[in-house]
Amino acid sequence: MTNPSHRWITQLDGSNLPDKALIGGKAWSIARMMSLGLPVPPAFVVTTEACRAFLRDGAFPQGLPEEMATAIARLEQRTGRTFGHGVKPLLISVRSGAPVSMPGMMDTILNLGITRDTEAALVVECGDGRFARDVHRRFYDLYAHIVLKANIDVFPPDGDAASWNRQIADATGAGLPETVYAQLMAAVRAVFESWNSRRAKRYREHHGIAHHLGTAVTIQAMVFGNRDDSSGTGVVFSRNPLTGDPEPFGEYLARAQGEDVVSGKFTPNVLSTMKLRVPNAYQGLMAACVILERENGDVQDIEFTVQNGELYLLQSRAAKRAPAAAVRIAVDMVREGMIDEVTALDRVTPEQVRLLLAPRLAEGQAAQAQILASGEGACPGVGAGVVVTSSDEAEIRAKAGEAVVLARPTTSPEDVHGMLAAKAVITETGGSTSHAAVVSRALGLPCIVGCGVSMLAGLAGRTVTVDGALGHIFAGQLEVVRPDETADPRLTDIAQWAARRSPLKVYRPSEAPSELVIDLNAVEGGEDPKRLPTLIRGYHGARGGAITSDEGVRAAVAEKLRFVVGEPVLPLLIAAVRAKASLNVSSAATDEGAQ
Amino acid sequence: MNDRHVVLHGLAIKKHAAPQEVADITGLDIGTVARLLAEEEGRRRVVTAAGKFMLTGPAQVALRAEYSRVYADQRASIAMSEAYGQFEKINAELKQLITDWQTMDVGGKKVRNDHSSTDHDQQLIDRLGTLHERAEPALKRMAKELPRLSIYPRKLIAALEKAEDGAIEWVSDAKIASYHTVWFEMHEDLLRILGRERDE
Repeated sequence: MTNPSHRWITQLDGSNLPDKALIGGKAWSIARMMSLGLPVPPAFVVTTEACRAFLRDGAFPQGLPEEMATAIARLEQRTGRTFGHGVKPLLISVRSGAPVSMPGMMDTILNLGITRDTEAALVVECGDGRFARDVHRRFYDLYAHIVLKANIDVFPPDGDAASWNRQIADATGAGLPETVYAQLMAAVRAVFESWNSRRAKRYREHHGIAHHLGTAVTIQAMVFGNRDDSSGTGVVFSRNPLTGDPEPFGEYLARAQGEDVVSGKFTPNVLSTMKLRVPNAYQGLMAACVILERENGDVQDIEFTVQNGELYLLQSRAAKRAPAAAVRIAVDMVREGMIDEVTALDRVTPEQVRLLLAPRLAEGQAAQAQILASGEGACPGVGAGVVVTSSDEAEIRAKAGEAVVLARPTTSPEDVHGMLAAKAVITETGGSTSHAAVVSRALGLPCIVGCGVSMLAGLAGRTVTVDGALGHIFAGQLEVVRPDETADPRLTDIAQWAARRSPLKVYRPSEAPSELVIDLNAVEGGEDPKRLPTLIRGYHGARGGAITSDEGVRAAVAEKLRFVVGEPVLPLLIAAVRAKASLNVSSAATDEGAQ
Repeated sequence: MNDRHVVLHGLAIKKHAAPQEVADITGLDIGTVARLLAEEEGRRRVVTAAGKFMLTGPAQVALRAEYSRVYADQRASIAMSEAYGQFEKINAELKQLITDWQTMDVGGKKVRNDHSSTDHDQQLIDRLGTLHERAEPALKRMAKELPRLSIYPRKLIAALEKAEDGAIEWVSDAKIASYHTVWFEMHEDLLRILGRERDE
């Protein structure tokens, strides 16, 4: 589409699907949803070509401001609202969108178009003065931090535009640009400039992305879920991301804006309340789930808003999922013919299977045992041992072969050596962001924090079992079991697919051949994955040490071992398949480089 | 402030460290660190096991007793205390960010981040980069009051850049000089310099 009057700006209306290199990834997915016939708030894009011209000349290309005015007029027409004035004000979002996503790019500006006048109009329209004021405050907050890079802690909610503008003037020497157009152009400029931020530049260099590509700017009409009783906002997953159950799963909050859900200010309701309140929008949403999941070949996480009964999709992306869901969804989708086995293996990581098969308390153990103390579970997992109250002691006793649980009032960097030696960590005070919680999670160490002051004194010297998921410390050594990977039909399906593609065999310890096997537990440096290639070279198989880590399996594949020994088997098989794929890619790259 | 104090102070922060690690965190050259540690070992202020050094109990107490004198200037400096106030605010955000890094919101529930979502990880690393940029002015101001502290921003940036390049263990792995490890050591250093207590 080469319309000379639209040299720098492209309207997104679903009539075509412009090149991703021209409009960037975010606009491209908006255009794609539109072309699938899905409802998306109207939007347009300042193209990467405009960015390139800006970066070359250090100024906006000729004609861009005029095109911007035309594009905004078109947006006003499409929404029936007006920008910066009028009784039905148009508010817009401004976001960066490079063809490839990268760090260091400008964050999204929301609510641009709010002024003293349009705030007043919004009060009338929504009948909610507090909301209109908050829209205004959020705009100041985002604009000051993102565009002006002002060093301001908070914009007090009980202030108003004049007071917030004074705060900005005090911090930066000048207030906000006067007109909404000037604010918009400054935001576009800030997006363009973020292309050359330190982080973005480095990222491109490391990933071999050309510096001249430039970023696009997506400008989209905002919709509001708090207009009336037939408005609301929510998020839907095309399948349950916790269990993998193939039914849409989500939350809906009537008369609310997206941030209310995200910030946890209100507890949203399940989707069935949406079906009752806004049945048409609900039907549209269910249809969108099917279409987007089919088109993208993966579970979708869709953010949406209902404005006056009308559904708008804001974003759709592959959903994050819990390990159990990852397995179920991958296998179900193969059975449904939606993806092939190779893709399924790509969707389940060795770590997810490890977590799924992690040791846990045997059934009934928790119910029978005596709870000595409880706190906030900071890292799941089960660990048992004698309670020691100093990190030095934990280290010494663990070295002597004893299982210890480290109990501290709180932990600090001085305790890390003790934590490394312990089977579990418990603290008297602190919450989920405390040092103990953070470090334990980094180590994958069962941890309970905030068990209460004077907990230590009662526990020191006792043998306990810590369940970091439940947040309980039990008396004695409880029985721990590992879930059976051969008992779950979905896991056995994946294991078959992986075994067919794995370049090496994985044996359980009891079944392993004994010829030409190196036991890495018996070799110095065997626990260091970096040293494995030289240690295992020439053997048929390896066991112990770091061989069961992803890096260990990768070394085994690279050194063309015939087998590794470890349990559970499935994570190792998946790691082997992944290692083969990535080694093929890097050897192809080397071959290319050699030619 | 003399090198001997700095070596013992660096060892106190690392707790259990080889001379190279003490050199890395203090900016002293390895020769000086190794020589001073050997001397201190002779004076029974440090003990060694498997090539790593530790302060003895009495030496820890003696070290703490020196702080108010050694860091009298920093403790009296308004610039230092303002910059530290800024740092504390960002420290609270850093702790939240690291928690967000380790956990992930799935369908409204917090679950452990198993790093299966590259998007989620990249977003968090991007947030970490933004936080670092916001912390930089405070870190610079503190380094002006005590030049040795400029080691930390350098180590933080090194960890951040490795994480940005895809080696995600450099965000919070406790076994390496990850962003979180260095940040925490820096925090510990600052608490000792200013004679403050950690606030969980």
